Amino acid sequence: MKKRLLAVLLTAAMVLGMTACGSKSNSGSSDKKEEAQSTDDIKECTIKFQYWADNTDYSSLMQDIIKKFNEENKYGITVEGEEVPWDGGGYSNTLFNAAMGGGAPDVATFKLSATPMFTNNNLLADLTPYVDAWDKKDDISDNIYDVMKKAGGSDDSLYLMPWNIQVLYVYYRPSIFKEAGITETPKTYDEFLEDIKKCTMDTDGDGKTDVYGFGMRGASGGQEPWGSFIYGEGGSFDDLTSDASVQGMQDFIDLYKNGYVPESATNDGFNETVANFKSGKTAMFIHHIGSSKGMVEELGDDVDAFIIPKGKGQWTSMGDTETVMFDSCENKAAAFEWMKYLATEEGQEMWCEGTGQVPVSQTVQQKDYFQNDKFMKVSMEGVDIAGTVPVKDTTTEWISNWPATISQALTGEITAKECMDKLDKALNE
Amino acid sequence: MKRESFLKRFLTLYLPLIVILLFILFPFYWTFITSIKPDTELYGAVTYWPRQVQWENYTKLFTTTVNFLAAMKNSFIVAAVTTVVSLTASTLASYAFSRYRFAGRRAMMALFLSNNMFPTVLLLIPLYSIMRNLGLLYTPWALVLAYTTFTLPFSVWLLNGFFNDLPLSLEEAALVDGCNRRMAFFKIILPILGPCLVATGVYIFMTSWNEYTFAVMFTNNATRTIPVALKSLIGQLGVDWGLLTAGGIITIIPVCIMFFFAQKRLVEGLTAGAVKG
Amino acid sequence: MVKKKSIYPYLLVAPALIIILCVVFIPVVNAIGMSFQSYDLRRPNDIAFVGLANYIAAFKDELFWKALWKTILWVVFGVGFQFVFGFILALLLNKKFRGRGVVRAVSLIPWVTPGILIGLMWRWMYDGNYGVLNDILQKLHIINKSIPFLAQANTAFPAVVVTIIWQGIPFFALMILAGLQGIPGELYEAADMDGATGFQKLFKITIPSIKNTIFITGLLRIIWVANSVDVIFNMTEGGPAYATQTLSVYVFNKAQALNLGYSSAMAILLALVLCLVAVPYLIFTFGEEDK
Repeated sequence: MKKRLLAVLLTAAMVLGMTACGSKSNSGSSDKKEEAQSTDDIKECTIKFQYWADNTDYSSLMQDIIKKFNEENKYGITVEGEEVPWDGGGYSNTLFNAAMGGGAPDVATFKLSATPMFTNNNLLADLTPYVDAWDKKDDISDNIYDVMKKAGGSDDSLYLMPWNIQVLYVYYRPSIFKEAGITETPKTYDEFLEDIKKCTMDTDGDGKTDVYGFGMRGASGGQEPWGSFIYGEGGSFDDLTSDASVQGMQDFIDLYKNGYVPESATNDGFNETVANFKSGKTAMFIHHIGSSKGMVEELGDDVDAFIIPKGKGQWTSMGDTETVMFDSCENKAAAFEWMKYLATEEGQEMWCEGTGQVPVSQTVQQKDYFQNDKFMKVSMEGVDIAGTVPVKDTTTEWISNWPATISQALTGEITAKECMDKLDKALNE
Repeated sequence: MKRESFLKRFLTLYLPLIVILLFILFPFYWTFITSIKPDTELYGAVTYWPRQVQWENYTKLFTTTVNFLAAMKNSFIVAAVTTVVSLTASTLASYAFSRYRFAGRRAMMALFLSNNMFPTVLLLIPLYSIMRNLGLLYTPWALVLAYTTFTLPFSVWLLNGFFNDLPLSLEEAALVDGCNRRMAFFKIILPILGPCLVATGVYIFMTSWNEYTFAVMFTNNATRTIPVALKSLIGQLGVDWGLLTAGGIITIIPVCIMFFFAQKRLVEGLTAGAVKG
Repeated sequence: MVKKKSIYPYLLVAPALIIILCVVFIPVVNAIGMSFQSYDLRRPNDIAFVGLANYIAAFKDELFWKALWKTILWVVFGVGFQFVFGFILALLLNKKFRGRGVVRAVSLIPWVTPGILIGLMWRWMYDGNYGVLNDILQKLHIINKSIPFLAQANTAFPAVVVTIIWQGIPFFALMILAGLQGIPGELYEAADMDGATGFQKLFKITIPSIKNTIFITGLLRIIWVANSVDVIFNMTEGGPAYATQTLSVYVFNKAQALNLGYSSAMAILLALVLCLVAVPYLIFTFGEEDK
């Protein structure tokens, strides 16, 4: 009986497997371009909106924005917000699984590195017709639209609506700079490396390093600050095996080997690098404006920032958050009204002021709140050199394997060249 | 009964107990003091008792969007219902496996065991579809169904083990005395099985209490369980240690209290029951 | 033993069987099907039947064998020590002493704690810069420089094993305690009268009386621990440099990267390995029953 059971199971598996594959690629809409609904067609409806919140304050803020939109919009649109955990990026997988299972929301917050898996499965709506018909579309700079289009893999279709960006810069402690005898922030990449060495000090004379020049992030997410070192030597993501790129990697390894960064760097993630900076264990570390509020609360005036200095090249990572509309949405014009509100109108202003993130809307950027904040200014300085890790279908896996490969290089298990060969193969194969 | 000397009792009971308890409880202690320390105290020299005690994390859990009370209620309902359903179904099934011989028995037992060898992450998309088609999505029933399915196999095997260890003589004696099988089950087996039912029930309860992968997919804000609520305290900007640890403490204490009352059923079974003769 | 044919046992088994077949059967069969295809959701247009290609790729994959070895170590040391300490604790909790009820209740704490909290809390305690473990070891002068436990390949794995041992002790303690309740006190009294020592009573009465309980809890725990992901994932995500990547974590990471075909194939291989452990048990149990 068991043998027959097994045989039946196996055949069923094959049959099911092949039919399942057939049905999957037909789900979602085809490549035909839909006619955009015009704004005259918007009737009263409900829009399901999914988002993550980085802390309870932001969570309340989003609820406030939703409430305001519901009260003030002239079409009678009601947005229903559902908060889903960020889960270290598991948010994108949860959203994907739900969409594949037929339960996608209408609009969701999004990270552009997840774009390929959604577009390859035809889950997202093409926003081009809606943006083209929008009179305020130039409020968002062309560069940002281009980054979004590139991430979506096409020059014509726009799948991601910009929402806010976070430009990475270098935080530093003025007091430690003073103690190390540094009088001004580094203007070149080489000066930057020098300053890291100068700031590594033994302050209480017990022979052990008490302050490290730089808080290196070797755990997940670390590929973003790391990119600046590669570009500083003239390398690039397009060819990680070039001599320039390998030299950038070697700089990175040397910082670790020579003790200018904490030994725990291979496992230091966001929490750890922030903690080390706040406690005075490190003099500098790279992050974006999202953490500035907490910094100021803890360190007051003894924290400032400068933009990634120019070397043979100059690059900083652009953190991003977008909104997307799902193709399964039945009220696309209404959904777009909500997305517009978040990107350029009151929603943008409320969100960016509340979270301290950089607005994409140029009108909002000009407002006093943003012009008067030193971290905001440094961020805006970096917009022209900001970019992202290339968004390909290999990117997600590349990002999750990055820490393991890097720690092999930092600990000397593999050389800089071997490391870059591995990384290049995984990304650009 | 001989009175053991105090020294002997100390060495064979109290000392090992204290050592093991220290290992078990230290992380709990650490979680607790982290929840009452202000954030600034976490990043510096290690302190074993907060310099400044603050309870606001506990109030924040319930008054802000975390809405922990709702999450606790949801977790509790799901876990309790799952325990009842799963325990009933598995007790019946394992009694059959243990006391009867029938065609297909071994195949079914093997099927039950192999069911849990497959990682759940690979089953998510089809299961989500199934729940959606059954209309159970975003209700507690989706989780009850999922958890029952995944706790049944282990429960059946656990109870099977307990059943097999129980001597048959008791049932046989009852049958000889004129009870039919069903009466024997309820009057003789069930009371002695008490501790095993408690243990298996705890296993089922804990599994549903702690589960995250299905919970995040099958619930929304209103029906989310504790693990999902806790995960939402970890954003891109890092962990909210205060809220997370406070949430952990609040999760742990009620269950331990519940178990304190349940464990009274873990009393020496056979000597109490069999003496009646 | 009831040997005559009756529908009674089928009725008893029906509820459990129906639930399992309705809910899990299709997804599992679907997953088995995926393992024979190049099922990668990042490239859905390339999905095709590829026979055993995924399995062959797994055999050639160095990380697969590394993860398999880690899983074996993980299970042997993790479950092994969980069992030993759990067994000792069960024996202790079976004795009478004041406050026993409270002690039994608090022993449950590792089991009650949600996985996310266990992972993060232990990660914090192991931390190389602010962790309490380093602080204690330095104060006791056992080490004089902080060890970043989770950042070094050679200490990360033992560190997560300690955590999983911590988590599993209550499970064994409770199950064995329940099993102990079924041992008639008369057996011990008779042994005392014969002058048996504590150890003799342990090995000749206690252990044999609960051997079914021991075997089944051990087997169930092996399957559970082999498949567990959340503790490791929250502590190290499988790093540093794959030092803590057990096969289940590897499967999880590949599945998150949407390479479902490959991860299904590896999951099936893992299940087959677990079957190697389960089959002797099944043979033994069914053999015992026939006596």
